[in-house]
Amino acid sequence: MASITRASVSMPSLSASVNQSQRRISGMNSVSFPVSGRSMIPSLRLQRGLQVCCAAKQETVDKVVAIVKKQLALPADAAVTGESKFAALGADSLDTVEIVMGLEEEFDITVEEESAQSITTVQEAADMIEKLVEK
Amino acid sequence: MNPHYCCLSRNFSAALPPLLPVQLPSRMETHLWYVVPDEVKSAPLLSKYMELLPQYERDHVLGFRGDQLQKSALLARTLVRTTIARYQVDDHLDPRSLRFKRNIHGKPEVEWETKDGFCPPPLQFNISHTSSLVACGVTMNSLIGIDVEEKRRRTKNNILAFAKRYFTAHEVEHLNAIPDSELQQQEFIKLWTLKEAYVKALGKGFSSSPFNTFTIRASSGIAVETLDSPQNLTNNWQFALLELMGSHYVAICLERQETGGAGKALPIKLTARKTIPFVEDELVSGTNAVVTIGGSVTQF
Repeated sequence: MASITRASVSMPSLSASVNQSQRRISGMNSVSFPVSGRSMIPSLRLQRGLQVCCAAKQETVDKVVAIVKKQLALPADAAVTGESKFAALGADSLDTVEIVMGLEEEFDITVEEESAQSITTVQEAADMIEKLVEK
Repeated sequence: MNPHYCCLSRNFSAALPPLLPVQLPSRMETHLWYVVPDEVKSAPLLSKYMELLPQYERDHVLGFRGDQLQKSALLARTLVRTTIARYQVDDHLDPRSLRFKRNIHGKPEVEWETKDGFCPPPLQFNISHTSSLVACGVTMNSLIGIDVEEKRRRTKNNILAFAKRYFTAHEVEHLNAIPDSELQQQEFIKLWTLKEAYVKALGKGFSSSPFNTFTIRASSGIAVETLDSPQNLTNNWQFALLELMGSHYVAICLERQETGGAGKALPIKLTARKTIPFVEDELVSGTNAVVTIGGSVTQF
């Protein structure tokens, strides 16, 4: 048996860190929203007053988290934050579309396919929602 | 009989047994390979699989939340690497030495080594996985898209509400006409996998072919009709819908290569194998593990 020096290689004890790595790895699962172009999301966030940070309101993020947890049947205490990637949480393409549909209903918005494609994390979803809600 | 496959690193104190080499599919053939994650229980074996991956793929696998997701992500990478390696392109190919790239639209492709005298084969592949099944389809030349799903997958949203939002009117009508909710759910899943397979075969990304811009008609045979040319049932693509192990639907979409006389479509020639890489391979086409439920398919 090869001696495995890296603890991370031994499967049963593997556990992903709570804060997902931001590194863009080619998505190799069956989620249909392609990886390409994600790094080129334009920052169209509005700057309001003295607000420097462009992030969506916490309330929006919380609602997105709730919808994601429900769709993916995650326990209420599962650690899901703005940085959490849908795919890493186990969302396949059907889940992602359902999440988007849930967001449309919750926030009374319509998300076009092009935009839906660029949402891969909770934060991105929240930011997009706020942009659409502002309209 | 077959060349001894032994490209594993000397770092393994116990080398993995050879992968069963396989002939490349002919122009008319489709190979389907799949792994059932629940049947792969050995932690040492999973560690070996992990060692086949380059660091960035290992990191990607480890980025998934929880053992089950990591396992199916690992098996997906393992399956695609070991499957392509079996075809012994360029004499022998270590699954670890394969490089992948994405086309302009983001679809994964093999990045073959460029060297003198080596002409890369027009090998096409596509993978799909759920937590309970990992599958890889391979062809020579034909663009391919595959999608797998559990038969009993349930949507959180109401099916018709979902279909009205994302599918075409014809498809909504088709689903609406099914009185039994179980059957309706299954039809929805079939339609979903077929639509996914088509978009993946096109390889241009989800947004280039939103689901409500094309209809999958599955009454006699399966065909796709795009909204912008409704008169013209798009003949470029052919489909197969399979029921695997009684538990999963597998949709395959292929670029049509040839037709029989008078433009008649030739059936898809399918070879299906269940595998646990380096452990066992089982030819399952033609058995009741693989049942054709849509499209014209001959299994062999």
